[in-house]
Amino acid sequence: MAGLASAFGSGAMTNSIEEIDNARVLFVIGSNTTEQHPMIAMHMLDAVDKGATLIVADPRKTQVAGFAQIHLRQKSGTDVALLNGIMNVIIDEGLVDISFVKRRTENFDDLEKIVRAYSPDVAEKITGVPADEIKRVARIYATEKRSMLFYSMGITQHITGVDNVRSCANLVMLTAHIGQPMTGLNPLRGQNNVQGACDMGALPDVYSGYQRVSDPKARRKIGNAWGRKLPARPGLTMIDMFDAALSGGLKAMYIMGENPVISDPDSSHLIEAIKKLDFLVVQDIFMSDTAELADVVLPAVTFAEKDGTFTNTERRVQKIRRVIRPMFGAMPDWKIISEVSKKMGYDMGYRAPHEIMEEVALLTPSYGGILHHRLDNFGIQWPCPDTSHAGTPFLHRKKFAKGLGTFNPVDFAPPAENTDAEYPFILTTGRMYFRYHTGTMCRRTSTLEREEPECFIEINPKDAGRLGVRTRNRVRVLSRRGEIVVNVLVTDRTPEGIVFIPFHFRDAAVNLITNPAVDPIAKIPEFKVCAVRIVPLIPKPGERQKSLYNRKEDIKILLELYEEPKV
Amino acid sequence: MKNKNRQNRKGLYLPAKVEILDVVDMTSDVKLFKLERPKSFYYSPGQFLMVSVWGAGEVPISITSTHEIRKDIELCIRKVGAVTSALHSLTAGDYLGIRGPLGNRFPFEEAFGKDILFVAGGIGIAPLRSLINLVSEQKEKFGKIALIYGSRNPSEVLFLDEILRWRDEGIDVYLTVDVKTDPWKYSTGLVTEHLSKQRISFKTCHSYICGPHVMIKAVMRDLSLMGMPAENIITTLEAHMKCGVGKCGHCYTDGKYVCTDGPVFNYTEIKQFGMSNP
Amino acid sequence: MKGHFVLNRAHLSYWLRQLRKDADLIGPLRSTDGDIIFSSIENIHDIELDCPASIPSPKEFIFPQKEEMFRFSDKGVSSKSNGERRVIFGVRSCDISAIALLDRFYGELYEDSFYMDRRRNTVFISIACNTPDPTCFCIGLGTGPFLKSGFDIQLTDLGNRYLVQAGSGEGLKIIRRFRHLFQKPEKTDFDDQYEAMLSSQSGFEKRITLETVRQKIITAKVEDSFWESVALRCFQCGGCVYECPLCTCFNVVDWKEDKDKGVRMRLWDTCMFKGFTKMAGNVLPAEKQIMRTKRWYFHKLLYYPEQFGKFGCVGCGRCTITCPGRIDMAAVANKLD
Repeated sequence: MAGLASAFGSGAMTNSIEEIDNARVLFVIGSNTTEQHPMIAMHMLDAVDKGATLIVADPRKTQVAGFAQIHLRQKSGTDVALLNGIMNVIIDEGLVDISFVKRRTENFDDLEKIVRAYSPDVAEKITGVPADEIKRVARIYATEKRSMLFYSMGITQHITGVDNVRSCANLVMLTAHIGQPMTGLNPLRGQNNVQGACDMGALPDVYSGYQRVSDPKARRKIGNAWGRKLPARPGLTMIDMFDAALSGGLKAMYIMGENPVISDPDSSHLIEAIKKLDFLVVQDIFMSDTAELADVVLPAVTFAEKDGTFTNTERRVQKIRRVIRPMFGAMPDWKIISEVSKKMGYDMGYRAPHEIMEEVALLTPSYGGILHHRLDNFGIQWPCPDTSHAGTPFLHRKKFAKGLGTFNPVDFAPPAENTDAEYPFILTTGRMYFRYHTGTMCRRTSTLEREEPECFIEINPKDAGRLGVRTRNRVRVLSRRGEIVVNVLVTDRTPEGIVFIPFHFRDAAVNLITNPAVDPIAKIPEFKVCAVRIVPLIPKPGERQKSLYNRKEDIKILLELYEEPKV
Repeated sequence: MKNKNRQNRKGLYLPAKVEILDVVDMTSDVKLFKLERPKSFYYSPGQFLMVSVWGAGEVPISITSTHEIRKDIELCIRKVGAVTSALHSLTAGDYLGIRGPLGNRFPFEEAFGKDILFVAGGIGIAPLRSLINLVSEQKEKFGKIALIYGSRNPSEVLFLDEILRWRDEGIDVYLTVDVKTDPWKYSTGLVTEHLSKQRISFKTCHSYICGPHVMIKAVMRDLSLMGMPAENIITTLEAHMKCGVGKCGHCYTDGKYVCTDGPVFNYTEIKQFGMSNP
Repeated sequence: MKGHFVLNRAHLSYWLRQLRKDADLIGPLRSTDGDIIFSSIENIHDIELDCPASIPSPKEFIFPQKEEMFRFSDKGVSSKSNGERRVIFGVRSCDISAIALLDRFYGELYEDSFYMDRRRNTVFISIACNTPDPTCFCIGLGTGPFLKSGFDIQLTDLGNRYLVQAGSGEGLKIIRRFRHLFQKPEKTDFDDQYEAMLSSQSGFEKRITLETVRQKIITAKVEDSFWESVALRCFQCGGCVYECPLCTCFNVVDWKEDKDKGVRMRLWDTCMFKGFTKMAGNVLPAEKQIMRTKRWYFHKLLYYPEQFGKFGCVGCGRCTITCPGRIDMAAVANKLD
């Protein structure tokens, strides 16, 4: 988000999902699209069927990579070098869209200076991707008019996350693949409404519609509407908050719909921080691991029990409708917040979600024309300044949100942690299809739970041979921070030297060992790279391997399903 | 082999409540459950029950006892999943639910006058035990009877006392383990290594096999290569099951339902399954 | 002709309203997002007859997505019967053909009481399809667009009137109860029905004969590499199975409500997931997607004909609408043909 904002002035998918069908080149970097964004992958496959060229850059051989004409398997954490290498070729071979660069952007000279240092050979040395492949990708991406670039967590969850995004933005501007249909820079958001949460200002430094807290005008406008003077200082990021809690600077916390105990890196550190708080409130639909630690748990309703909107990854605000009555006395989030606020002496006075949407429209320029009654059928894509506006399928048409697009050249910086003799493997983490996040919801569904009940580590056959392990053996995975025990899955999906563990499991929470180092700007942790050692735990012949899986725990989850939530 | 015995309509999915009479620890993770036998409950060797523990679920379990010999029902159960773990926490006097008997039975009338070879691996002895006890009751009707039984290690050998009794009664018994620990006075190695040592006439013999999937596959192939007719090589299969009556689809393989067309199949039938492919 | 009647279009809603007096009337409605769903009818005029296939198929009314089998407690088990009377109106020919096959699947050998209880209390009034959707291919399977038998009541829309055919005793009964609404058909009515059928038959975009596909598979002219290419495109959403009017598999789970009581449920399940066949100790007989893909197609294309003499597909096109990887029955058949 931060990287996109500094380049274009707004952070969201620039183009629309529908446009994918007719694109000619799809460059997917750091996204396991088929598993994590299947509906978008469907359009990608349709485009491939129509003859589009699919390029996937991912160390792992994901399902989507199986459809790619070119699959670049860069070393984890070397995306900047790869993208700089591609840009080097584009500049070197005269494939830059000069008129676009001159009219619409600034700071090209600085970019050129830095990128010059990344010849394909240099990039090959850093990334492990053959120089010829880099050249091929550069030519295909730059020469085709309708080239779309996609990225996801594989780009952002690094200490260089913002740099990675900036590099993507540089590439897009260099070739003028923006401001047109079937082009653009398209971050795929991981959850149904993460775009909406960001749009509504669920970030420390902005209000709704990315109006900056530091902007006195915005502060005054919103403060006037709420009848309160608003603080001029931006808030803390999540990682900073937990650090502050640990050092005693933060006393109380109110967590909504998040389960950081499982989802955040170095969780033992985090649990310690939570325990130091004087007061913790957790608002969730189920009793999550984090809620277990709370002083007060506020039961919220699920999507099916509430009205409102979700904003998807293509900026489309869509209406959701209540289909069942709220169960067990749970309330919609907006109502809980309003009630809490009222008890604290401020009556927000909302009586229904559409009233809140009216206020959003009033105070947020990009949501100006987005009102519930306009959202039937397929919703509206922001920006939509007024009620006569039909929404915006692609952004930055004539000019960027901030005026000129800025090239933010970046140099390659290695990941925070490197492999060495003691910790010789790079561990990268991610998701899998049958699990959603920390499992607060999906683990209650017997059919989903049946698929992958135990955590596993993907190891390349060559590495597995050297370690002397086979599929279903068990290994200890150790990092400088901790260790977990997981099952082995030998597969060439993961390249040599790199291992992969999904982060969804509570019994083998990989975030006990991941690196909490964060991107200095976005504060997103480096989930994608850390150094680990693998110790085989091979059963002696004739010995039976015990299940990893905590059955009692499982039965407990099933029992909770029908329990009245504790309030 | 099909069991056409129609259930009463309501009873198809409704388990009957039965009392656990006794629970015997067999090994560290295997227990023998003795259940009260409901009235008009008749079963044959090879048939199975769907066993319910309320709240944990239902699993198919083969019957290890023999109807003609015992008044109760015996089930030999290893703790492997959620339901069997719940089962293992029950004791005498507790109740559980059963449906059945389900599935077909081991055909053995064809083996009258012929030699019989039983090959068991691990807990695969359980369903065979039902048949072995029935056969050993009427030994005079058969030729030579042999049993090869393989286990991982000596501590996992099930029904050892009973097996030694069978031996004393004239069954050729070969016990083997993957890994030997003291004191173990029998063989080591895989069951397939002991097939050819049997002094039986392979060409006319009937064999009954049960054990892990890989073992069944290997034994069936070897026996077939040794000249045993495919119809005489008989096994019983394990499969994921939810209903036991051919409706839920979980055990369905290549046009057959393990629950209603099996669980007992001969090698000719097995070869038609995709599962026999490497 | 026996069992044939004519119903004035203006009298349809009156008839339905009468039927609703002693049964739950269910029909196709259009949701605010444009989807077609079968649901209890509040207002007869909301029924959408000229519409694409409903998602999910009406099988959910006799084989619900989630169903209580029985309740258990330390005292034993108790099961309530599903005796609610239902009239399901506006069902398509393909779905009626599917239900006829489901009746055999759940009724033969061991009778599934949950299904059959519902089925015995349900009357289907189907409507012959005058305008097939682009995804439809029932015509090659004899499961539509017009049925000759297998229905309770079939209506054919002839503009100002419906030709009404009774195909079962149950169907005839609910026509006879309102005899005053129905006239004897004239020759022109049959002629018009025939015209409607011809025009419908000419409206199919997809011409698929599964028999040639079956022959190809049996004669082993389909290599595993083909199924591999199909499996590669499977996103494992399970949509093909959940939406298929002929997929019958279910999972059974216990939900505990208290220490010693709870409920055993059955839920739709899908063989597209590798856990579907998972055995004790995490052994996965169908670990590779290709095995599961083949299993689904072989069941429908080879084993259904073996067991029932009919394909396990009625050409409703729901998998075509649903599959994100475009590897639905029609697509696979087209590639093989």
